[in-house]
Amino acid sequence: MIKDITLGQYFPGNSIVHRLDPRMKIILTILYIVTIFLTKNVYCYIAVFLSSILLVLVSRISLKVVIRGIRPILYVLAFTMVINLFFTKGETLLWEWWRLHIYLEGIYRAVFMALRVVSLIIGTSVLLTYTTSPIVLTDAIEGLLSPLKKIRIPVHDFAMMMTIALRFIPTLIDETDKIMNAQKARGADFNSGGLVKRAKALIPILVPLFVSSYSRAEDLAVAMECRCYRGDVGRTKFVRLSFSGKDFVAFVLFVSFGAAVILANLYLPFGFKV
Amino acid sequence: MNILELKDVSCRYAIGTPFEMTALSGVSVSFEKGKTTGIIGHTGSGKSTLVQMLNGLLKPESGKVLLYGADIWENPKELPKVRYRVGLVMQYPEYQLFDETVRADIGYAPRNMGLSPEEIEQRVKEAAAFVGLPEDLLDKPPLELSGGQKRRAAIAGIIAMRPEVLVLDEPAAGLDPRGKAEIFEGLNAYKKAHGATVILVSHSMEDMAKYCENVILMRHTQVIKQGSVRDIFSEPDLLEESGLAIPAAYRLALALRRRGINLQGELYTTQGVRRAILAYQEGRGKV
Repeated sequence: MIKDITLGQYFPGNSIVHRLDPRMKIILTILYIVTIFLTKNVYCYIAVFLSSILLVLVSRISLKVVIRGIRPILYVLAFTMVINLFFTKGETLLWEWWRLHIYLEGIYRAVFMALRVVSLIIGTSVLLTYTTSPIVLTDAIEGLLSPLKKIRIPVHDFAMMMTIALRFIPTLIDETDKIMNAQKARGADFNSGGLVKRAKALIPILVPLFVSSYSRAEDLAVAMECRCYRGDVGRTKFVRLSFSGKDFVAFVLFVSFGAAVILANLYLPFGFKV
Repeated sequence: MNILELKDVSCRYAIGTPFEMTALSGVSVSFEKGKTTGIIGHTGSGKSTLVQMLNGLLKPESGKVLLYGADIWENPKELPKVRYRVGLVMQYPEYQLFDETVRADIGYAPRNMGLSPEEIEQRVKEAAAFVGLPEDLLDKPPLELSGGQKRRAAIAGIIAMRPEVLVLDEPAAGLDPRGKAEIFEGLNAYKKAHGATVILVSHSMEDMAKYCENVILMRHTQVIKQGSVRDIFSEPDLLEESGLAIPAAYRLALALRRRGINLQGELYTTQGVRRAILAYQEGRGKV
């Protein structure tokens, strides 16, 4: 069922990661990504990977869920590994056949590449998507981008559009599921036949989905107007974001980690730079 | 004779995530051929999940679904055929309308069944007649119909398969009393004409009393009680514990009984209680 998609899903909880200010989490995520891409050294790769596992443990998201989130990108991962394995030129030739060469450097590079991608996905999804509800996340984006309001960029409207879009993804998934079931009950078959037949089989799902989305959009607009929504002018917030001690501690930790990685790149003796 | 049977069926949603939720736990029920069976329970008691088991839309995690004693999951390739025999009208079915005309939409299932155009046309007309959809509406786009008409068109879309078992999940939700009565009359007419078995989901005890012969009472993913309407009504406390409202007329009859006025006969519908009160007065007049 489509309901089983977990990538990009929020898992409610009460860990320290959940409780960090969402704006800080966005900043930390950016820091973390930068750190990962700065990594050039074996120790750092291992450290980065371990740090992503540490994040999972701290956030108390079950490892199973995280692994399931990685599954969809396994093919991409395998592909990058293969490409790196065969097309990296280095000094220590290990194996050669026709135009394919495997160098020791290629092996390292493939493994490190995989580590990098996996840590990237685990780190960002634990820091942001798994532990932050989409609504809070858009709030945070609005907060971070609010200086742009000074140059008349409609930050609030973008944030509201994003909130609404995110809010309705689960609804749409549910609805698709329902409509698919309703049509299956009428003998629809989505899994057999050629491309044309399969595309045609989608019409009974897409038409009702569009119809109900439009009517829902209209209902929502009316409901918002009934509650006097008129953009962010004079609008106050129920949940006010505020930084606290733990946000600063987390910030310092991430910055030091980044700095340590840069230093390790420069000075650690094991100079396996890839 | 039992046409459909669930044996120890359990089902969970979103297994392995924090949203994991049990929908059915060890449910065993049977549906008598040719009878109207009601499934009643509070929101979230598992009614809708149970109905989706009946035509193989959901697969039980454990347990069996038997149609005439044969496990419908034994050969999943035959499932479409099961779905033609067990017609399911989902909740708010008007959302499933998609075709250019009402006629084409009602004909969707018969087309999937591979019937001849003449047969399809005939079935569409018959189904529209059962649900009381005037023939001049058949060539309109579904979007131009009113809410009640859309609902009927959607139900007709299932009736056009001429299912042996017609399952309806809250067919009258959100309709006015008249639209409701008309839909139930249509269902009765279909049942009589084709000797079909009808399964109705509702949370209105009034509907159960009026239209059903047997009732299945559900609470918290389990079947609490299964029996005739009389059996179920004989335990008003059980109903209230399950979060269900006892029909006003029956409550009146119970209150009268507590004050020593024993009404006789069928006391679950307004009509029945009215008759009983009149009979009681008459009886007293004679004394």
